[in-house]
Amino acid sequence: MNNSKPSKTSGVFGWIDQRLPISATWRSQVSRYPAPKNFNVWYFFGSLAMLVLVMQLATGLFLAIHYQPNPHLAYWSVLRGIQRDSRWGWLIRYMHIVGASAFFLLVYLHMYRAVMYGSYKKPRELLWLVGIFIYLALAAEAFLGYLLPWGQMSYWGSAVVTNFVTALPVIGKPIATWMRGSFVVDLPTLNRFFVFHVFLMPMLLLALVLVHLIALHQVGSNNPDGIEIHDNVNESGWPRDGIPFHPYYTVKDLFGVSVFFVIFFWFVFYNPAGWGLLLDKLNYTPANILHTPADIHPLWFFLPFYAMLRGVPDKLYGIMAFGGSFVLLAFLPLLDRNPIRSIRYRSVLYKFNVLMMAASFLWLGWIAHGFATEHNMVYGLHVTEVFYSTFLVLPFFNRQRTVRAKIIWLVLAEAAVWLIDVWMYSIHAHGWDLMLLTDWIPALYLLVVFGGALAFPALTRDAAKLPERLTAGGIFH
Amino acid sequence: MTQKYSPRRHRPVLALAAVLLATCGAAWGSVASTVPPLRPITVNLQDKAALRNGALYAVHMCVACHSLQGVRYSSLAKVLGLSRAQFLATIGTNGQHYHDTITSNMPAALMEAYVKIAPPDLTVIAERRSPAWLYTYLTSFYVDPSRPTGVNNTVRYNVAMPDVFASMQGLQKPVVVEGLRFGSPAKVAVGVQPLTQGTMTKAQFDQTARDIVSFLYAVAHPHQQERERLGPWILGLFLALSILTYLLYKLYWSRVITSKERWWRIGR
Repeated sequence: MNNSKPSKTSGVFGWIDQRLPISATWRSQVSRYPAPKNFNVWYFFGSLAMLVLVMQLATGLFLAIHYQPNPHLAYWSVLRGIQRDSRWGWLIRYMHIVGASAFFLLVYLHMYRAVMYGSYKKPRELLWLVGIFIYLALAAEAFLGYLLPWGQMSYWGSAVVTNFVTALPVIGKPIATWMRGSFVVDLPTLNRFFVFHVFLMPMLLLALVLVHLIALHQVGSNNPDGIEIHDNVNESGWPRDGIPFHPYYTVKDLFGVSVFFVIFFWFVFYNPAGWGLLLDKLNYTPANILHTPADIHPLWFFLPFYAMLRGVPDKLYGIMAFGGSFVLLAFLPLLDRNPIRSIRYRSVLYKFNVLMMAASFLWLGWIAHGFATEHNMVYGLHVTEVFYSTFLVLPFFNRQRTVRAKIIWLVLAEAAVWLIDVWMYSIHAHGWDLMLLTDWIPALYLLVVFGGALAFPALTRDAAKLPERLTAGGIFH
Repeated sequence: MTQKYSPRRHRPVLALAAVLLATCGAAWGSVASTVPPLRPITVNLQDKAALRNGALYAVHMCVACHSLQGVRYSSLAKVLGLSRAQFLATIGTNGQHYHDTITSNMPAALMEAYVKIAPPDLTVIAERRSPAWLYTYLTSFYVDPSRPTGVNNTVRYNVAMPDVFASMQGLQKPVVVEGLRFGSPAKVAVGVQPLTQGTMTKAQFDQTARDIVSFLYAVAHPHQQERERLGPWILGLFLALSILTYLLYKLYWSRVITSKERWWRIGR
């Protein structure tokens, strides 16, 4: 079928359509765009994330109209000007706050979906990489926006993060001063954060999302079976397991949006502070440069990275530890080169590893939710080692390993963990007693993976054959 | 193949779980402080009489030092359900304009000189601290000669605020136990006992404190009643939409033929 020909050549729309490929684009990208027919519940989150992006732009527009980017005015322009003096200001602000957290939740689920079904593998490596950049842009956007209410946690959180760069020797401090426009977080910092938050980063996010979509439509969607639908087409070239995106997935996503809004607006109307997780209690105190809070911590979506930063007893290495986790994510297509995409047809130990990827991430968040005690820091270090391990053991699963290879992996991995602990002990004062108390966490994890592979070879065996066609099963498949 | 359950087989697993729990537990204990029990309180935003009584004390006592910069007298009148004339006749504006924000006449710099810290703004104090914490705080000042103000507080150790309720409540003495403060053993005040009699009985003063806390909660959550009135409609709308769109989705998808194969039966 020729998708490039305009469908309607008369009337006003016809006149426009001959000059701008509206109907042709609609056909090729939406109504005749083949999507696999077995998407399950995990495939709602991408479109929902786009919805939340639009919602953040719309609510942010109104907030920016009423906001004052000035340290003397900012706090009360939010709490009085927006929340109390403007009609429906409270609704707009709560939607923006809950929206920010919803955005991260959806993006995390969207990324984990890609990990489970191998959506980062050939030919979707670039799609995955663009997604990682979207996550980084989103993280920057959230960080910049968090300063604007000018509460205590806003202020000190920004102070901590803008000080990251001072970990660099000699040039660190001048760069930090240049970035803030001041020796401390102050008026110039607030002004530039405001401009970056409402102008620069949203533009970048929109552009990246557009590139993400173009790259997706170039290679087509993956699916829970990880079987390429374009490998099996009928006489006219249409994939046998594909259905048009519109109306099938548009109508299905409408259902997803409705359910999402029930949960979203429950938070907005009944629990906008989200038990202090979405809106930190300390941010109900105006920023005070002379009073550093006893515990400075980020909102829930950055807590796992905060645990990594806190776990390593050195500023530069700590920043490298949490920055490195993004590098690991970006390198995922290179680490996991097993030809089978979907977790469904991978071995038991691989499934366990992917589960532990999420579990250790949540565990890190839980650790960072607690106070910065010596115990929590050491815990953070060791669970960070587990999180890193879940990525670094991936090449082990690329093919069946011999007994000798398994022994080498086990010995080297355990040795690496113990050497890192010796190193950490040598650079700072984590006591041996504390280190030994929690050292079993990464050691046991690696023992389960490689020891399990040694003792029970069946646990590393992938499915003997893959289905010819897409299967059914799962929620809302 | 069935296998009889034998606890002995799980002994190593249970031992491992015990070690895990023990080490996790140790992480909690290290910064423990003995926390005095908070006095329970139920805030009823419908009880306008309580809110008005609380507002009277807040505007005439608290505002001597504290401000409520997020609140205008006019918006306060709305929260209390009073007309402008009623508000001006009963509560008043401390000489400020009706649409002004509630600002203390005491300069913050002077307060810093007196008690070393500017009194916090009270607009959202009930969100920063819980109502139970505020209620306990207001009723738990006790005599402590080591402090410059002569008083201390069970929930806010070494508090800077003087006991402004001394004449109403009377003075109180602490109930001290051997406990922990930031992990170190210390004598901790976990409650108070009356020392002298004030102008109010205990029940009267407790009611006054509850009214003040209710008022602070109301100004910290000016839209809570509106939110809770609108909430069911909005959630109902999207619940109904969920059902309708689910039916629509099922209707459209009834013509999509999906495989009878299940992935968990393949390749095993």
